[in-house]
Amino acid sequence: MEYILNQLVNGICQGAIYAMMAIGYSVVVGVVGMVTFTHGEVIMIGAFASYYAFEMAGNHILLGLLFSFAAAWLMGACVYKICYERFFSAPRNISMLCTIGFSMVVKNLAQIVFGPNQKPMLNIVDNKIYSLGIVQISTIQIVVVITVIVSATVLSFFFNKTRWGIKLRAVSQDKTAAYMVGINVKRTAMVGNCVGCALAGVSGMLLSIYYQTLQATMGGSLGMKAFSSSVLGGLTDIRFSALGGLCLGIIENLGITFSSASFRDIFAFIFLILMLLIRPEGFASKKGARP
Amino acid sequence: MLEITGLAVNYGYVRALTGVDITVRKGEIISLIGGNGAGKTTTLMAVSGLVEKQQGQVRFKGADITRMAPDRIVQMGLAHVPEGRKIFPSLTVYENLIAGTVGNPKLDKQQIQALLEESYALFPRLRERLAQGGGSLSGGEQQMLAIARGLMMDPDLIMLDEPSLGLAPIVVEEIFELILKIRELGKTVLLIEQNASMALSIADRGYVLELGRVTMEGPGRELLNDPCVKHAYLGD
Repeated sequence: MEYILNQLVNGICQGAIYAMMAIGYSVVVGVVGMVTFTHGEVIMIGAFASYYAFEMAGNHILLGLLFSFAAAWLMGACVYKICYERFFSAPRNISMLCTIGFSMVVKNLAQIVFGPNQKPMLNIVDNKIYSLGIVQISTIQIVVVITVIVSATVLSFFFNKTRWGIKLRAVSQDKTAAYMVGINVKRTAMVGNCVGCALAGVSGMLLSIYYQTLQATMGGSLGMKAFSSSVLGGLTDIRFSALGGLCLGIIENLGITFSSASFRDIFAFIFLILMLLIRPEGFASKKGARP
Repeated sequence: MLEITGLAVNYGYVRALTGVDITVRKGEIISLIGGNGAGKTTTLMAVSGLVEKQQGQVRFKGADITRMAPDRIVQMGLAHVPEGRKIFPSLTVYENLIAGTVGNPKLDKQQIQALLEESYALFPRLRERLAQGGGSLSGGEQQMLAIARGLMMDPDLIMLDEPSLGLAPIVVEEIFELILKIRELGKTVLLIEQNASMALSIADRGYVLELGRVTMEGPGRELLNDPCVKHAYLGD
């Protein structure tokens, strides 16, 4: 029982990072209007950006956060310019195929530049273990959860209270209507893509801190996990995607409790398949919307 | 205020508009009537910059907007309330109204508040539903929201595409009364309607569009009594 409870805590912490990845994914899918295959690579770039920031400037988590955010934002701008903007009027599958190609190029370039092997992440916090009754929680877990909560709060304010937030939500709901209210849809979609990627970058940093490791090929499975999580929200609903991420983290950690840690990634796929079988359109709904 | 000359639009190999000429003067209500597929919606989409124009010119307030981006056209003071309302269903009524202002960076907080008050005065029902999701409103309320959102852009000219489509007769009357009130606010209105008798009865002038061409034009009352219009659009 104690082990299961601790695994539940681990699942919540890990799920919080997945939630952030999934929110980023939903933002991207919402504004560009299709699934993307570059998200995993953006997560990886965010992780490496923070790694080099820590290496050069010391263990300042805010600096790492800033670097991973900026690097992923820049990557988002490149993805948008190369994969989406050029093909705005073309059939949508062209852009989608382009993201597959882009992801392959980045993954292979990253292996050349950063090396193909796993790197240990620098110890940026003095990791202590605290006991709360039978539950144990580490400093890293606390840092991760606080970072996710602060980021989610800022993001919620941005989306709900700012003009840019309303623009992004409008563009992700109906691009033609957004044009009709005078929104520059292309520029807004680019900013949205960059915001989504920046969140992925920050989650990349948090994951590498959490697992104490990073690798140029880490993006593949993480991109799939972001996708699996956001399926819960029909790919575009931010709140349900976050919930999906949290569920996935918990399922993964409880799953390996009863099997083996090497099966961790399998649970993401089982989760995805089950979601697609049970409710392919997601739980976010058009509830309240009249037909 | 708006001059459309020789406008031609193709959808692939199909010609949707052929040499359309329409003039809208300041303060007028102009009705554009015609059957399904006549090219009414395409005309508005072309003016808004949402479809590519093959030929012709569109001038708004003296400026050539033929090749201008849709967001720039809105910023110049031309609002388009589309057919089917196209409100943002997951945004609240308040957010939908604010969405009408985000494309115009010149509007400050006081102006936005004044525009909101103007919308509430015209559409009191929206004020009661500010926190409700746009998608959960009734058809008539959604139409009101779409028009109010158009007015939030503080336009000089508002183009309304089939505002009575799918609404109950009592709501249709309400919508047409609102169009007259919008004119009283100093706005110019370009109205597209299948309900030809109501559209022409409130219009200063009207245009009849058939198969992508303007076939008749004249004062609203005159067109209303024209035997051809009566036969084709009024069921007489």
